[in-house]
Amino acid sequence: MTVDCPAGRAIKYERDNIDTDVIIPGQYLKIHDYSELATHAMEGMDPSFHSKGGSYIVAGRNFGCGSSREHAPIALAESGIRAVLALSFARIFYRNSVDGAFLLPIEIGPDAYSGISDGDDISVDIDGGTLTDHTTSKSYAIKPFPGIIRRIIDSGGLFGYDPE
Amino acid sequence: MARTLFDKVWDSHTVVDGEGGPALLYVDRHLVHEVTSPQAFEGLRLAGRRVRRPDLTVATVDHNIPTTRRGLPIIDQTSRVQISTLESNCRQFGVTLFGMDSPHQGIVHVIGPQLGITLPGSTIVCGDSHTSTHGAFGAFALGIGTSEVEHVLATQTIWLEKPRPYLVTMDGRPGHMVTAKDLILYLIREIGTGGGAGHVFEYAGEAVRAMSMEQRMTICNMSIEGGARAGMVAPDDTTYGYLRGRRYVPDDFEDMVDVWRGTLHSDPGAKFAKSHTVRADAVAPQVSWGTNPGMTCDITESVPHPDEYSRGDPDRERGARRALEYMGLEPSTQMADIRVDRVFIGSCTNARLEDLVQAAEVAKLGRVADGVRAMVVPGSQTVKEEAEARGLHDVFIRAGFEWRNSGCSMCLGMNPDILEPGQRCASTSNRNFEGRQGAGGRTHLLSPAMAAAAALTGRLTDVREMA
Repeated sequence: MTVDCPAGRAIKYERDNIDTDVIIPGQYLKIHDYSELATHAMEGMDPSFHSKGGSYIVAGRNFGCGSSREHAPIALAESGIRAVLALSFARIFYRNSVDGAFLLPIEIGPDAYSGISDGDDISVDIDGGTLTDHTTSKSYAIKPFPGIIRRIIDSGGLFGYDPE
Repeated sequence: MARTLFDKVWDSHTVVDGEGGPALLYVDRHLVHEVTSPQAFEGLRLAGRRVRRPDLTVATVDHNIPTTRRGLPIIDQTSRVQISTLESNCRQFGVTLFGMDSPHQGIVHVIGPQLGITLPGSTIVCGDSHTSTHGAFGAFALGIGTSEVEHVLATQTIWLEKPRPYLVTMDGRPGHMVTAKDLILYLIREIGTGGGAGHVFEYAGEAVRAMSMEQRMTICNMSIEGGARAGMVAPDDTTYGYLRGRRYVPDDFEDMVDVWRGTLHSDPGAKFAKSHTVRADAVAPQVSWGTNPGMTCDITESVPHPDEYSRGDPDRERGARRALEYMGLEPSTQMADIRVDRVFIGSCTNARLEDLVQAAEVAKLGRVADGVRAMVVPGSQTVKEEAEARGLHDVFIRAGFEWRNSGCSMCLGMNPDILEPGQRCASTSNRNFEGRQGAGGRTHLLSPAMAAAAALTGRLTDVREMA
């Protein structure tokens, strides 16, 4: 997985505690075909999500709380989501996202959360630590990845990670 | 240096010390189920790897399986495939499986302790967030995703950033009909669903000491709903008494107990990053009104107004508004006036023998109300057998409850036991997320006794008025 986050559409949910049951409802956990799984992403709260063609999700606190299902980041990634930008993440979702190199979980501040609107065109410069909203021409700081997380990301996931 | 219980378990399992950063931890027990394991085994096959310690790995089927009569074919084809995939994976990789027809089959977090697989001071992982349950024994037990499942199958280790210890003290003794479920719901209501993020709870205090192992499992189970990575209780005679004589307990158990007694507790003066105290004697029976477990109130209260719930935070207010809309509830409605369509007594939170005994004490006082469908799903086939030996099934069946075989059942809406859209359920499970029990289903979390009371009256009910 690279950390490239080119310009793309942000889908914003002004909501805390977006849980894994709305990200991918339990009834779909038996689906092993990822492209089919993707058609049910976010179905629990936004059935039109898959057709929106978003590259980024912007959300509030504790994104991905609940179940350990790796289907959650997989379904989002297969729908074209490159990164989730949230005020904070639930721990298992965060690790699942990077362990399988599915998507980037990026912590943002309240300024970016309130500044970005649904549908805005945004991009992220991970190494520069900034997030740019091209629609409003504003930039925001993002929280850097902790050391090990960055190394797992750069290794293409947990199985490429070699601590030496 | 004074260390917490968690620090000690962490330190004793560190293979590579992260020196404040991430560490590689050894895993003592790996529990496996049908939903989060297929891709992990497939990954092993593709890489030509084996399961490193099949002797430390145990599997069962719980999430998908129907809870109706065993032996009938599973109608849902994708479930059938997932179950048969686990069976063939366990055969191929030499992993012990308690399958559909095993007398030891059950919810993975119920059978681990029951079989003595869960031990004090150990590290336990499973591809399921409610693995925190096992912390009741003084283990560091946490849920992991499928990539990590594969990593543990291949290496018996896991990379983790060290969480921080968080002391939860439950002082005093809970009142009549107030259970471990009420205490943990109350805690989450106070600290919020993200309150424990980045931390491991250690539950202490008079109320916790007085709890049975089954009650301790209930509170540790829902640690994840408070955002914590895990929950732990220091082991004591209650713990050792529970484990003694169980099937997989090691032969040198008594020697181990001697060691555990001297080590498995937080040292006086050990530093916790955070702490919170619950006055157990002041807690009333709890019931959730919203769409996360923190949206909970006393049964004697009414549905809150979003602005009152918000504590001045617009995000909380928006969350509450949306929750009330989804739940079909109006502010100021008395909780005890809310009618239910379904009652579910089950799940890894509340489907152990004591839970069923408590529910049966209430169930014997009447009959399931007209128009209500109520089911009891034991947490394991062993729990079912023990309950039947006490005649609990007769109590439930006579009162009009359905008596099922074990499984995750209506906790998570991925097997035949689901709510219809708009149906309202009094549930002893752990999550009231939107659609959790089936698309459009509405969940109220509560204790087994409270659930049984709701079944008899057809509405959320203060069980203290009945029993």
